[in-house]
Amino acid sequence: MRKSKFIMSVFFIILTSSTTLAKSADKVKIGSKIFGESMLISEMVAQLLEINHGLQVERKLGLGGTKVVFDALTTGGIDIYPEYTGTGYIMILKEDGLRDSKRVFARVQEQFNQKFQLEWSQPLGFNNTYTVAVRRNDKKFKNIENLSQLSDKDLNFKFASAHEFMERQDGFNSLIKAYRLRFPPSNITSMQAGLMYSAIKNESVDMIMAYSTDGRIGAFNLKTLKDDLMFFPPYEVALLASKNSLKKFPALKAVMKTLAGEISETEMIEMNDQVDRLKRNIPLVAKNFLIGKGLIDGDVQTFEEESLISFFKNRLPYLKKLFIEHMLLSLGALFMACLISIPLGILLTRKEHLTKFIFPIVNTIQTIPSIALLGFMIPLLGIGYLPALIALFLYSLLPLLRNTYEGIKGVDHNYIEASRGMGLSSFQILRYVEIPLALPVMLAGLRTAAVIVIGTATLAAMVGAGGFGDPIFKGVATVNTRLIFLGAIPAALLAILVDKILGIFEKIIVSPGLRDN
Amino acid sequence: MIELKNVSKFFGENHAVKNVSFKLETGMIGCIIGTSGCGKTTTLKMINRLIEPSSGEVLVDGMAARDEDPINWRRKIGYVIQKAGLLPHLTIKENISILAKIKNRKPEYIDERVQELMKVVDLPFEEISNRYPKELSGGQQQRVGIARALMENPPVMLMDEPFGALDPITRNSMHDEFYNLNQKLGKTILIVTHDMNEAFKLADKVILMNHGEIVQMGTQKDFTEKPANEFVRSFLAEHLNA
Ligand SMILES: Nc1ncnc2c1ncn2[C@@H]1O[C@H](COP(=O)(O)OP(=O)(O)OP(=O)(O)O)[C@@H](O)[C@H]1O
Ligand SMILES: [Mg+2]
Repeated sequence: MRKSKFIMSVFFIILTSSTTLAKSADKVKIGSKIFGESMLISEMVAQLLEINHGLQVERKLGLGGTKVVFDALTTGGIDIYPEYTGTGYIMILKEDGLRDSKRVFARVQEQFNQKFQLEWSQPLGFNNTYTVAVRRNDKKFKNIENLSQLSDKDLNFKFASAHEFMERQDGFNSLIKAYRLRFPPSNITSMQAGLMYSAIKNESVDMIMAYSTDGRIGAFNLKTLKDDLMFFPPYEVALLASKNSLKKFPALKAVMKTLAGEISETEMIEMNDQVDRLKRNIPLVAKNFLIGKGLIDGDVQTFEEESLISFFKNRLPYLKKLFIEHMLLSLGALFMACLISIPLGILLTRKEHLTKFIFPIVNTIQTIPSIALLGFMIPLLGIGYLPALIALFLYSLLPLLRNTYEGIKGVDHNYIEASRGMGLSSFQILRYVEIPLALPVMLAGLRTAAVIVIGTATLAAMVGAGGFGDPIFKGVATVNTRLIFLGAIPAALLAILVDKILGIFEKIIVSPGLRDN
Repeated sequence: MIELKNVSKFFGENHAVKNVSFKLETGMIGCIIGTSGCGKTTTLKMINRLIEPSSGEVLVDGMAARDEDPINWRRKIGYVIQKAGLLPHLTIKENISILAKIKNRKPEYIDERVQELMKVVDLPFEEISNRYPKELSGGQQQRVGIARALMENPPVMLMDEPFGALDPITRNSMHDEFYNLNQKLGKTILIVTHDMNEAFKLADKVILMNHGEIVQMGTQKDFTEKPANEFVRSFLAEHLNA
């Protein structure tokens, strides 16, 4: 992963530096990281430059992670992007220790200036850090504003965090030590980040570890408890630009001033909710905000709620891409499984003693939960198409192998004896007698395997292989039911459709002499 | 001509066929008869090498079985089994012509030959050649089985209880037809049967076996006039009904 990111950024640098020389020299290039909040702020910068300063802007939003975007800035691939002070301090400067937001800001300002010839704007006004969130209307927390108010008490409520936070050195364990929080161990769970928010919403848990500007904090009426002991470093967002660019485009300096201190935590939460959960268009959300703040002129546009049908219609290109990914995975896995299982199943009918080894192995694979199987693939094969393909392949082995074996074994011995007596060779008997007679059973295996694979392929999104699971996971994470439908409905329809198609296929290739009527 | 010389078969300890020797001249019909488990099927299968003899020699038209490739050997010998053993996934025509097709014979030839053979075994070609075995009666299936064995015109035919699954009336008429048919075809045919009447009706030579051995061999006349021993006498008494 790290390597590919590196290659990507090198590639990017070459690409951008060559185009810089060419014609876009007079455009301001604005970058961002690959998530809604970063893209929103960059979009605001872009609109301010275009509308208030009449500059041409090239949007390079969602470039990648911190390293990629930062490298682009230092090498001139972009002129400006929003960065978090904590990220600059810990990830880029590789320092730690300071917690006070003013001192952290002062430190990165000074160091970036010296080391990278980069300049920070004043912070834009909010801090996006880890925070403990509870339900606003939960009586237990009525008078609690600071996390330290919970120190040294027996905390008889349920706590959940993302898996990642539980695992980290500076995560959960350090936090409860720092604040002396006493949870009974049975009250602590870790779950997928998206599920955490639904869990607190429906009161399965009482307290979660959230990002302080996550849209769901507003949408689900949560309140955050202040990190008053300053356990977490501050992550204030500010605009970061190179000195060269500031010289070349003085308007950048003006925009940096304009936005400083303008975005409150509540406002950012609201905008994040619009973008992440409600899937609203980023330029429009940014524009409405700037208009609302009086930073640009124009009319605020309202968002029409899309009907479920137009929700699907408006995402046809996305659905098409998901369909192709899903099919490539499923068909690839089935094809490979056929290639292995059918010859192997036939071999097993000839070499019975091998069944003692092969079937237990294949049976065991089948009992591994699919999520775990996909998980095992990551250290072996990384993420993407290949690990998902292999996992699905392993899953479809058993039904195909077992049915091939049972189908061939189940052929009445009389037919084989009669054929041998006529003078057919073993291969001819296999080809003209055993396989055609076993075909209904083998095809039943194929149908089972196909339904399993198409269903399980929705999990492939977990390892970044796309498919209909992609919107499902995103939908679960943002508690967006329509997004879940966007993946779940086509996946279910696809399974039914493929089953039906195989049914028709069976009618065509299985001899009418074998049908019972 | 079929000839067995001192042929024996052991299945482990079980001496299923003991030193069997007989000769069936070209154009003759022979019948092997005997109690259940006496080794009839085993003897038959040793002739087309579905079972290899433990010792002894099998000859067909003067050629020794063990010198030949078993697949080529079987293709020269027609084989008909009880309930015909028709392949359920193939049509009647495909069943009859499966071996011809494997041997890449021309479709026109196959068509013509199947038509001819179905006439020989008295089956309506137009009506049933494209049907599947399950759509045919037992008697029709048996005829298809015989047609299939005749497809490559083998000089020798082996039949294991070919009429065993038929009702007595159909069986009787099949006997007559089959007898007349072979008058024309002139094949050397060895039939395994349970039915003494069938054996006497069809066979030029009846071979009676017991516990893997031949007890007596000959014509109906030999059996009724000079039964070899008490076993033969009681076997006849039990199995011959008027
Ligand atoms: N493949 C085999 N393996 C072991 N024993 C066998 C095998 N085939 C036949 N036998 C045994 O050999 C003996 C003769 O069997 P065979 O099938 O030749 O009898 P049969 O005379 O044809 O009987 P039936 O009239 O019941 O068909 C029996 O004891 C049988 O159990
Ligand atoms: Mg038998």
